[in-house]
Amino acid sequence: MAQVAEKKLSTKLDEIHELIRAEIPWEPIGPTPMPEVPDLRNWDRRLLKTYAPWYAPFCDVCALCTYGKCDLTGGKRGACGIDLSTQQGRIILLACLMGCSAHAAHAGHILEFLTERHGPDKKIDLGPFIEIEAPNIRTVVGLKPETLADLKIAIEYVYKEITHLLDSTHTGQEGSYLDYESKALHASMLDHVGMEVADLAQIVGFDYPTSVADVPLVEMGWGAIDKTKPVILVSGHNPATSTVVIDYLRENNLEDKVEVGGVCCTALETTRYSDRAKIVGPLSRQLFFIRSGIADVIMTDEQCIRTDTPQEASKVDSLVIACLDKAMYGLEDATDMDTEEIVRRMVDNREHFAILDSPKAAEVAVRVAMKIAPQRRKAWLTSEEAVELAKKCTNCGICEQVCPNLFSIGDGITEVAKGNFDLIKKQFNLCIGCGKCEQECPNHVPIFKIMQMGASMDTWKARVGRGPVMDTEIRNVGAPITLGTIPGVIALVGCSNYPDVDDIADMVDEFAKRKYIVVLTGCAAMVAGMKKDADGLTVYEKYPPDFDGGGVVNIGSCVANAHISGAAIKIASIFAGLPLRANYEVLADYVLNRVGACGVAWGAMSQKAASIGTGFNRLGVPVVLGPHSSKYRRLFLSRKEDDDWSVMDARKREIVDTGEPSPEHLAYVAETKEKAMVMMAKLCIRKNDTPQGRSIKLNHYISLYKKYIAKDLPEDIHLFIRRDPDIPLVYKKEVRAHLQEIGWQPKEPVGLPTLIGTYPSKVSVDAVIH
Amino acid sequence: MSAVVPFHRVNVLCGLKSARLVENAAEYANLIRKAKRPLLVLGPLLLGSSPDGKLILQYALDIAGAMNIPICATETVKGKMEELGVKPDSAYDAVEIANALKDLGWRGVRKEGNHDLVILFGIRSDLGNQSLSALKHYAPHLKTMTLCKYYFPNADYSLPNFKKDAQWQEFLESLIDNLRKGA
Repeated sequence: MAQVAEKKLSTKLDEIHELIRAEIPWEPIGPTPMPEVPDLRNWDRRLLKTYAPWYAPFCDVCALCTYGKCDLTGGKRGACGIDLSTQQGRIILLACLMGCSAHAAHAGHILEFLTERHGPDKKIDLGPFIEIEAPNIRTVVGLKPETLADLKIAIEYVYKEITHLLDSTHTGQEGSYLDYESKALHASMLDHVGMEVADLAQIVGFDYPTSVADVPLVEMGWGAIDKTKPVILVSGHNPATSTVVIDYLRENNLEDKVEVGGVCCTALETTRYSDRAKIVGPLSRQLFFIRSGIADVIMTDEQCIRTDTPQEASKVDSLVIACLDKAMYGLEDATDMDTEEIVRRMVDNREHFAILDSPKAAEVAVRVAMKIAPQRRKAWLTSEEAVELAKKCTNCGICEQVCPNLFSIGDGITEVAKGNFDLIKKQFNLCIGCGKCEQECPNHVPIFKIMQMGASMDTWKARVGRGPVMDTEIRNVGAPITLGTIPGVIALVGCSNYPDVDDIADMVDEFAKRKYIVVLTGCAAMVAGMKKDADGLTVYEKYPPDFDGGGVVNIGSCVANAHISGAAIKIASIFAGLPLRANYEVLADYVLNRVGACGVAWGAMSQKAASIGTGFNRLGVPVVLGPHSSKYRRLFLSRKEDDDWSVMDARKREIVDTGEPSPEHLAYVAETKEKAMVMMAKLCIRKNDTPQGRSIKLNHYISLYKKYIAKDLPEDIHLFIRRDPDIPLVYKKEVRAHLQEIGWQPKEPVGLPTLIGTYPSKVSVDAVIH
Repeated sequence: MSAVVPFHRVNVLCGLKSARLVENAAEYANLIRKAKRPLLVLGPLLLGSSPDGKLILQYALDIAGAMNIPICATETVKGKMEELGVKPDSAYDAVEIANALKDLGWRGVRKEGNHDLVILFGIRSDLGNQSLSALKHYAPHLKTMTLCKYYFPNADYSLPNFKKDAQWQEFLESLIDNLRKGA
């Protein structure tokens, strides 16, 4: 039997080696090519020992099978034997799988689309300054992708793992919350592979900007949309549709005659393809813009699109084309229908259709928009009209009860009724754009329409997403980041479920000013540009677009998050010379202990945000989440006074109890932006910091704490001071006095900190020495 | 009794174990008095003012002062407390304090042992209710209560959804009086 098992294993490895072309020795093959669930389980368990899952269940029960509903309170188990913690892990895994599969399916579709267009041998060439084209794929899969066909190998591996992981959520499978969390970490690591596949394919297939920092600025805001022209709104994430619309307009010399604006990540993708396209805004502005009726035709693709888009469009006489099978809304599939017939029925009968052929959908959208635009009235509400409509509001408070952001739009509406628009203008920045208030209003006040008056008709500038960080940039900043003299990389990512839209620009400004490297993706990349300073400049105009201290970089859409994890991996490769190939555990350990990076998903809403964040966590990057994210039900928190902060000093081969909680948490929720910023600075501290680097990081931690929290010192400051040179010069006297008062004792910094060697692993300590 | 629906619908309970609604300040005071080691966890909503201009934080400080209840200041509360001349016993954020409280062996903010009653006040209601969920399910050794003007289903004891701020303020003032009398 043992021989059979060995043979099976060997066959499996042979197959993997064939897929990753093991015979090409670009790097030695590490321990985990195409890892399966158990392969990185020990790494996960080591992480989860210090950063234990913190669960805040949404439900007291499990209701996933017909045994239930099962009461899981008070230590009770369900009919299948599951307990409450394991059920939470299961739900988290499901969320991460939804996120991972959304990106993976996007990647699969775009690969198919671009392979059809360019052929499978289309080269992955990211320009002269990017040699490590696919850090996630190289590290996880063990493959150096050279063509679109190679990307297919990577995505097929992801598909296979998704099936195994989803299988484990079936009734009567996994029985340990720690194993579910390990699986969630696995799914989320795969998400970064899927995202990387998607964006690499898009960059080479659509000829997006690459190997360049100074990408153009584009116009943003609905004031930027010229409503006197036919307007096409593209909504979602997948650029197969929107790029073809641009192609059609170019080919027919119509670019000046038709406006193309985007909402959510498709907007970012479209502006990477054409700097004449406009960004309407983030997800939170989707329903507002649809209800404004400015769009003649709305083209939906996938992810985070309103599921009631056709119904909403019909209310304002806009027309919808559903362009992907992910969301067909029950519409008639007109993919094989004659184009003339579709146009006729849309124009004459005001019918919406699903058209799953991008070129056909593009032609129809443009022709229909041009025909119906002159017939449609597109006017903003006047202030007089708004005041009249607002008078119906009795401020009964029901709108506040259903608001996910917990504020009273009724207060703003009643002020409008008095002719005062100040409050509603402020509230527009709090609104996440769900429309529940209007749905529940007993007096049928058209709240969204009235809020148009609060909506700024201003335009802003956003920088176009630029894709991967260049290897040349990594060479310049690798040492300062790992030694700590660039205090950290702050990655603001994710959706637009913000406590306040302005928070993002404020955070960017605070950290760019302090010479952190600030990178952004997705909705966060858009809203960062939606605030102007006293000189009328957005953060994109105020700060350089370089991946360097003080730079503000729009990396791109959601799938471009893979370039942020990729940048962390590239630091280990380019600066430290660590091999990437199938070497995930070593790379994650390096990032956790030495790369001072912190993710911020301040408006995280979706399951994709859950998997993006959890993927960063497995790679050793902590993430700060906004207050809504407590509803994800799970965080990874340490207990700084009590947890195990031991590391192996790889040079001395000794386990050292550092007592230093760096990074303190892996997934953490802050209630206010002020506290979030203090935590972001703290979470950039790493055990590898030089005294100079640590002193710079502590300078920011203390000064942010004093600016936003209290005038004294942070209570835990002593935990991060190893020796006197770590103390920032400007606070030397105060900190020394404090340390003396509490009886602090100096300790030696660890020469080469690593978790490898502190837990069972196939990886040896030698592997981390470079 | 039919289930109480929380004011903020995002906090609607999916389950079985919901907070006992208490409308009588004397009863609330008794519950606090019975606790051996209560803890007041204060959130940033307390930095706002009531319609009559009183800093809401002042109610919390009066409650703590009436019975020498230790305070955990979350987020930005500490700075304001210190401006008012009060030093909090600890500064953890909502999820951090809930994480520590889960551990029966934790020594508490005054190192005298874990707490047996945790009173949340001034944390935004979705985060507050989730933090209470963590305690409801993973800290069976303690009871939880809230002082905000809305019903929190994941607490053990909660105030009702007060329609008017004045009713809520009246409750808080009565609670302070009752605690002071008891002390």
